[in-house]
Amino acid sequence: MSAETQQVELIGDEVVGNLVRAALLAALTGAFAYVTFPNPASPTSVTLQVLGVFMAGLLLGPVWGGVSMTLYLAAGAVGVPVFAGGSAGFGELVGTTAGFLWSYPIAAVGIGAIAYGGFGIDADLDAPVWRLVAALTAGTAVIYALGAVGLIVIGKLSVKAAIVGGTLTFLPAEAVKAAVAVGVVRADELSAT
Amino acid sequence: MSVRYEPGETLVHRLDPRGKLAVQIAVALAALAHTTPRGLVGVTLLTAGILAVSRTAPAAALAEFKLVLPFLVGGPLIEGVTLGPVGFSVTQAIPPALAAYRTVLLLLVAAVYVRTTPVRESRAAIQRTVPGKPGQLLGLGVGFVFRFLPVLRRDIRRLRDGSAARLGTERPVRERMRLLAIGGLNRAFRRAETLELAVQARCLAWNPTLPRLRFARRDAPALALAAGLLVVAVV
Repeated sequence: MSAETQQVELIGDEVVGNLVRAALLAALTGAFAYVTFPNPASPTSVTLQVLGVFMAGLLLGPVWGGVSMTLYLAAGAVGVPVFAGGSAGFGELVGTTAGFLWSYPIAAVGIGAIAYGGFGIDADLDAPVWRLVAALTAGTAVIYALGAVGLIVIGKLSVKAAIVGGTLTFLPAEAVKAAVAVGVVRADELSAT
Repeated sequence: MSVRYEPGETLVHRLDPRGKLAVQIAVALAALAHTTPRGLVGVTLLTAGILAVSRTAPAAALAEFKLVLPFLVGGPLIEGVTLGPVGFSVTQAIPPALAAYRTVLLLLVAAVYVRTTPVRESRAAIQRTVPGKPGQLLGLGVGFVFRFLPVLRRDIRRLRDGSAARLGTERPVRERMRLLAIGGLNRAFRRAETLELAVQARCLAWNPTLPRLRFARRDAPALALAAGLLVVAVV
């Protein structure tokens, strides 16, 4: 008989805190995916997922915001129902709307990098409104550019159909979400961040 | 949410999660490489076989993906409409229709994985496949997301119900989104604080005990299928 011993290597407090926040924001993005509002510009409905991407970039910064959205995709791929309308599975990551999903980590990193002015981990978010708006505009551009590329390459839609049907009809709703995100960050209405 | 893990005794339930992930990825690659009528007939037969072996009802699995359906049906329809003489061109609608059908097949295959694999096993598969600390963080994080998604969904549903009971649905959409965002974020961060304290108290380690995963003889067909499909995808 032999006893097995192994050294336990603890995870540092800072990493634990950041990982937990990243995971909770990923879960919140998943919970937002169940919330649908009617889209005035299209027969499809809009979910609040993208608001989760915005908040991950703005509140967690470029590094952990990116981690958060990577967790979101990984959780969805192995079957946690976090994608639009509570769907899940690897199929979504190679399906017609896959471009949107793959863009989330990139958009969160971009939003964080612009809002925090770099890739520092410990910075506080004290950016002026114009920089927040610039960050979210860039993030939205990344999400819809990659989303349209997905519709064209994977969904075999023409450029025109992808841009009109898959992008332009959603932009008004995204503008509202971006305004909400800026308002939430600026208004100090969050009790703990 | 109609597709989630259901305990069962089928062959697919007993396979190693890494083998099942490999099959999923290989089916996706093969279908992407051969989105032709002939290729899709093959993938359809394969999908039907996988559904049969795992005893999954296709209709229930598809019901879950209703938010993607407008993209799948709408794409080919938009593409087929011609504006010169106004009409509908079947030739133009065929490529997006094939792509949409392929997406349906891949969603079905993914649904089988979700139905037959507990998230604990998927987490172990991630941590044993992705090397080092990134793999550990990814596995831990996926575990947290799985645990807290239902809790946060309930928080959000309560916020919406409470707001609806007070005629909040009459407010402008922007205001409703704002209230939901603030409420959701505050609850998520409060839960994060409690969870952080709890996992620190329990000494969260880089090397936790995971369920044992071991390839067995019954995994051989799945791995062979994955390898075969990869060859098909490349050739």
